[in-house]
Amino acid sequence: MSAAYQQAFERFSGTLDRGDRDRRQARFERFAGAGFPGPHEERWRYTDISGLAAREFALPAAADIDLGETLLAGCDHLVYVNGYLDRTRSTAAALHGVAAAEGPDDDGIAALNAAFDGGGLQLRLASGETLPRPLNVVAAIAAPSAPGMVHQRHRIELGENSQATVVFQFAGRGGERLATQRVEIRLAPGARLMLYRVEDEAAGGTLLSTIQASLARASTLRAVTVDCGGGLARHDFNIALDGAGAEAALAGLYRPQAGGHVDNHAQVVHAAPHCRSRMLFRGIVDARTRAVLNGRVVVQPGAQKTDSEQRIANLLLSPRAEVDAKPELEIYADDVKCAHGATVGRIDETALGYLRSRGIDAGQARALLLRAFAGEVLARIGLPALRAALNARLGFPAEEPIEP
Amino acid sequence: MLEIKNLHARVEGKDILKGLDFSVGAGQVHAIMGPNGSGKSTLAHVLAGREGYEVTEGSVRFDGQDLLALPPEERACLGVFLGFQYPVEIPGVSNLTLLKAALNARRKRNGQPEIDPADFLAWVRDRAKLVKIDPKMLSRGVNEGFSGGEKKRNEILQMLVLEPRLMILDETDSGLDIDALKIVSDGINAMRSPQRATLLVTHYQRLLDYVQPDRVHVLARGHIVRSGGPELARELEARGYGWLEAA
Repeated sequence: MSAAYQQAFERFSGTLDRGDRDRRQARFERFAGAGFPGPHEERWRYTDISGLAAREFALPAAADIDLGETLLAGCDHLVYVNGYLDRTRSTAAALHGVAAAEGPDDDGIAALNAAFDGGGLQLRLASGETLPRPLNVVAAIAAPSAPGMVHQRHRIELGENSQATVVFQFAGRGGERLATQRVEIRLAPGARLMLYRVEDEAAGGTLLSTIQASLARASTLRAVTVDCGGGLARHDFNIALDGAGAEAALAGLYRPQAGGHVDNHAQVVHAAPHCRSRMLFRGIVDARTRAVLNGRVVVQPGAQKTDSEQRIANLLLSPRAEVDAKPELEIYADDVKCAHGATVGRIDETALGYLRSRGIDAGQARALLLRAFAGEVLARIGLPALRAALNARLGFPAEEPIEP
Repeated sequence: MLEIKNLHARVEGKDILKGLDFSVGAGQVHAIMGPNGSGKSTLAHVLAGREGYEVTEGSVRFDGQDLLALPPEERACLGVFLGFQYPVEIPGVSNLTLLKAALNARRKRNGQPEIDPADFLAWVRDRAKLVKIDPKMLSRGVNEGFSGGEKKRNEILQMLVLEPRLMILDETDSGLDIDALKIVSDGINAMRSPQRATLLVTHYQRLLDYVQPDRVHVLARGHIVRSGGPELARELEARGYGWLEAA
């Protein structure tokens, strides 16, 4: 481990009060002991981040980043730049806070995140409450002059039958960067959360994100994730269906840009009976990019009447493109319905030829076919501004109004 | 308008067309008939520029331009339209998206701005009426879940919307019941004009009862074995292809 981590921690903890400092010291020591996971670990086989240990990151200074069109219209905003709350652009600044990390750390990354956590969204809704507008949380990082790292932890707790829509956008904008983002979600009985997670990490950056969600009885989590960056991104999305009748629907699209590496590990644990889970992933992978998708469903003893489905489809745009997609299933109950499948294919040349025969040039025809492939995921995005922004970012033609 | 000279073409290493010569003038309808495997569909695809069809000899000129030198999308923008024998299903790309993209590709090539969305919808709705296609179907993926007859009508709809100058219809009549055949023929006839030319590729004379050709060419084993007027089609209907293939 480079001495830079220790130095960064000393500088950071010097600003904290005693109790906080001690708590974080323990976390930092755990990180120093565990380090970053290595490729010998099965879960990290295809994504080697062991090199991070030798890097010399410091907590960056506040900076001004041009967020362009990143902020979504029609939403309340909570904006972080280099980990600092941007009060001028945050209409929901009151929701910012730092909460002491709870429970043991899963691994070195979680300990690192807890040690340096600069705070984030703290959303708590009372029973029956509905968030009036979608909440757009933006975390942007730029480290143009010196290697910088940012660590943030967000928490969403929805009371009984409450409802919210939250959009996380993680954007890296140049320089050598490391970011860890952790989102902890607790849904009380009957609560409903629509969650979006968009990653656009530029080359030179590493983003390690973890979303932990625990769903009580009859609560619902719907999530859409999109990866469209050219940096290295690793996401762990862990959903625990803890109460009977809980439902999780996770849809993800990944299309790494040139040089990009995206690794999604999604796991749903059915810990209670009568729960339903859906996973749908679509990947578009070109040469000089790498995508990893691991979908895992675990049905614990007693989780009878589980209804789960995993569908993974990938499109390779080049003979040299590579994707590692694996659905996994572990079942310890006998009265369950679990389906899973993964496919890897190429663009449909017959369809391409048909479109071209109508006068549409090859580039646009391909873009239309790619949009169609991605459409099953993008169609689940209920925020028109986000869908339009992603269409543009992914190089797809704008959508047609469909009213004949 | 269309001049084909000594056309030889090969598919998957196999010579299919072995020297075709004929011309279609503006305002004319020519029928290409012949038994299965004679090269009719190959001719249609070679003219449209489908990949995998290799022209080994000869030339094709469209309004004096070397058609074979152009990629399929440019041929289409020039006004060449191929009605497919087996129209392709493209889930996720709606019929409207295809039509609009195709129309705008032509406009772009002609230096025109993109079509106004309201004008576009009105135009498509108007054209859909001619082939009795419910405009609601046009929001669905291209040919997605369409019956065989609907697919063929949809080809004709695309033709009516795009208003090509050379219409090549590859067995558009196959698999149609009599009502659908009538709709399809009406669509083709609606497009006939002194500025347009039509090439009907067909196995049967049936379509020619509804769309009167000016010339009929019979293709066998990659050659045109006979050319004549509309009466040749009727003779084929009565006698079959055997007598010509043997010749």
